[in-house]
Amino acid sequence: MTYCSHSMMCVETMWKWLHHAMASPSYVIYATAGVGFDARTKEFKVDYLDEQFCQVEDLQDEANPNFAEEVVSLFFKDSARVMLNIEQAIEKYPKDFARWDAHMQQLKGSCSSIGASRVKNECTSFRNFCGEENAEGCTRSFQKVKREHAVLRQKLESYFQLLRQAGPSGTATRPAGK
Amino acid sequence: MAFQTQGSNLRALLVEDIKVNRMILSQMLRKFQVETTVVQNGKEAVELFLGGETFDIVLTDNLMPIMTGPEAISKIRAMGATDVMIVGVSVDANSMEEFKDAGADLCVPKLKLEILEHILQETRSKKNKSSA
Repeated sequence: MTYCSHSMMCVETMWKWLHHAMASPSYVIYATAGVGFDARTKEFKVDYLDEQFCQVEDLQDEANPNFAEEVVSLFFKDSARVMLNIEQAIEKYPKDFARWDAHMQQLKGSCSSIGASRVKNECTSFRNFCGEENAEGCTRSFQKVKREHAVLRQKLESYFQLLRQAGPSGTATRPAGK
Repeated sequence: MAFQTQGSNLRALLVEDIKVNRMILSQMLRKFQVETTVVQNGKEAVELFLGGETFDIVLTDNLMPIMTGPEAISKIRAMGATDVMIVGVSVDANSMEEFKDAGADLCVPKLKLEILEHILQETRSKKNKSSA
């Protein structure tokens, strides 16, 4: 189990709790800072990030208290640019697999650095299709990259919002009996 | 996590084209109070060495625009910079051979704090031995 010193709990645990909370209409999570909120709607899945994300969170300190969120923000800004480059490359340079691959290699690298494992896996799939010179496979794969990227953005936005609500030293605690 | 510095005055050169990776690796090095210079491709790294800059450790990515990590490593070693610790950092499995053939001391797929700490300790020991 990977432990994150910043959030005072295992990232995996936090995401699992949120997953259960979202599935149950009456499930409530209270932050120890006294902020309570009802978490009932969205689905949360645990397997979007790997332990590298905890490495990023562990880099936070007093001088850089929001480091993880800043890195994630930079990731989404930069990755949106790279994906646009890929989209344009597919359109303007048909079957230029080397060019397509070079762009995707960039995206894969940054995914790996923040622990975005599912997006990274789709990047790998795209690159494999480039190696096979399979344009249709690349196009299908790129749609999956975009989907996973969008889902991850939504989940991480929710995650950081939750952390902000919990406060600087807050933790999410399951109420007794639930 | 407590980060040991042991009076670190190591100088590092970080060669990385991806912004997110630069940000993360720079922060890792900052944790160990390593004085870090950052460049975005192999050519800029080589130019620093040509300009007479010296570093205790170079951390470099593989695939970068203008000049790759292995290309830069080959040129840096050819200049006679044989003492500097050079670490290739790349998730690409094919990179390991390229880095080694070019003259890198180490290759790691991902740089974690524990691994970096160990590498920096090794670099420090090597530096202390050569200055003794």
